[in-house]
Amino acid sequence: MRGARQVIPGATTGLAAQVRRYRVEAALAVPLFAYVLVLTVAPVLDTLRLSLTAPFGARFPSLVNYRAILASEVFRTAVVNTVGVALLSLGLQLGLGLGVALTLHARFRLRGLVRAVMLLPLGVPTIVAGAMMLLLFARSGYLNAVLFGLTDAVNGLLGTEWRFVPLSWTVAGGWRTLLVLAVADTWKVLPMVTLIFLAGLEAISPDVYEAAAVDGATGWRRFARVTLPLLAPYATMAVILRAIDAFRIFELALVLAGRVEPVLGTYVWSRYGPPTSDSYTAAAASVALFGLIMVFVVLYLRLVAPRADLRA
Amino acid sequence: MTAAVRRLARPAFAVWVVLALALVLFPLYLLVMVSTAPGSAVFGERPALLVTDPTLKFWRRVIERGDLWWPLGKSLTVATATTLAAVAIAAPAAYVLSRLPAGIRHTLVVGLLVTRMFPELAIGVSVATRFARLGLVDDYVGLILAHLIPSLPFVAWILAGTFAGIPRDLDEAAAIDGASRLGTLVRVVFPAAAPGIAVAALFVWLYSWNEFLYARLLTTSQNTLPLQVFQAVDRGARQQVAAVATVLVLPILPVVAGLQRYLRPGALAGAVKG
Repeated sequence: MRGARQVIPGATTGLAAQVRRYRVEAALAVPLFAYVLVLTVAPVLDTLRLSLTAPFGARFPSLVNYRAILASEVFRTAVVNTVGVALLSLGLQLGLGLGVALTLHARFRLRGLVRAVMLLPLGVPTIVAGAMMLLLFARSGYLNAVLFGLTDAVNGLLGTEWRFVPLSWTVAGGWRTLLVLAVADTWKVLPMVTLIFLAGLEAISPDVYEAAAVDGATGWRRFARVTLPLLAPYATMAVILRAIDAFRIFELALVLAGRVEPVLGTYVWSRYGPPTSDSYTAAAASVALFGLIMVFVVLYLRLVAPRADLRA
Repeated sequence: MTAAVRRLARPAFAVWVVLALALVLFPLYLLVMVSTAPGSAVFGERPALLVTDPTLKFWRRVIERGDLWWPLGKSLTVATATTLAAVAIAAPAAYVLSRLPAGIRHTLVVGLLVTRMFPELAIGVSVATRFARLGLVDDYVGLILAHLIPSLPFVAWILAGTFAGIPRDLDEAAAIDGASRLGTLVRVVFPAAAPGIAVAALFVWLYSWNEFLYARLLTTSQNTLPLQVFQAVDRGARQQVAAVATVLVLPILPVVAGLQRYLRPGALAGAVKG
């Protein structure tokens, strides 16, 4: 593109000339931004306006909806649960994603097959992942069946008489339900995190490792001093991308924990839907969730990411 | 590393790989297994982990009822149309983004990303009310338009990175050879960016195929496949849920396994640097 590259001072005069000069570029870019304006920005503003509208009475803006959700026990629990699930998911996914990426980056026989299997969850709809996890974690589910079997095996080996009491994972509530949500989410999105870390690993040139070897860094030291710092920007991308979706966790929570442990995603859903059908507080809760995500991302970029980059 | 550690490293690596594979495959195995299990096997305190006398009863029931073919068609059509439209709209814009000065490009890309942080449900409810007025509920076009909402910023973001990695000399050379700006784009830049475009397209296709929320909001009678699964979860017996889910997942898994070799992680690298 000739124009966009070289800005010659004084060559263009006025806005009209600029527009004429870049009309092809504008025509190429406008549809995307128009789409986002009409079908994302406008609905967001809609929601914002609704959240500041008092359902009864004409006062605008009003904080009555925000006050209502803050006073609600369910909302406060949902906030705590959402943060808990998100942090748990992020921790699991970053750790396992890095581990799997390092594995797939190594050379070994059958690597192609292992890679294909590890990426399979990409093709599994989240709602199906939820159905699978329900089979696994239900009270008469298969995790308990496996644990039963393990107890029997240990008893057979050691001659003990331990009894396994079936645990209810999904409907128990509390940390166990949150853990189930984080595990289910991790199963589904691990391929994405793995791919991001693989991109980072593939971008490290062999020269860097050669230089490190000359300096005597091998094995663990090489990993900690060379690989990890170079992966930092990719970790940041993974954290931000995942955080956005982890805080907004919805389908899995709907299937696995809908009635027991509310998260903000399902809280908003239940406010919009019957029997409440209260789109005012639903809108306020949506804005609160957006705020939560923004705060997390900004804090992360301010506090964690710079330190990770400094080490590089 | 001592010799002992080195001797242990290989078996430990093998154990880790097998464990990772098992964790991915076990839930999928459960799904298929339960869908073929006869009634009693899946209930009780200790449901059996193996099916000794598999039955295709539930599969047959799901297939005979015929309420999967229509959703299958809808899911396939919507996913494919969404993918084509997303690339057609977002790729040219991503190219323009990639040729902008770094500061402006950064601002616009971050702006697109921030729009993705708002809860999808709130956007969806607002969009669904508008679409209802326009008669776009229970409509292919309505769902395609909705699926483009998250897809467009995603494709633009991935491809802005990809295009930024294509040297501007290439545009310039084509321009000197007399190609028009659009000609340059279609004949020179897009082919050079093909791997990145393919990855972005694959992700959009999978997103639409898997999507639940917009489908739920914009559907009253004509389900997509994920909706069909959700309804089964809501009211069906275990095997029925498993059978519907298996039919939804099985055909797509070989495709994912086959396509993964084209999933060059490098295509994501540009997005990180951009």
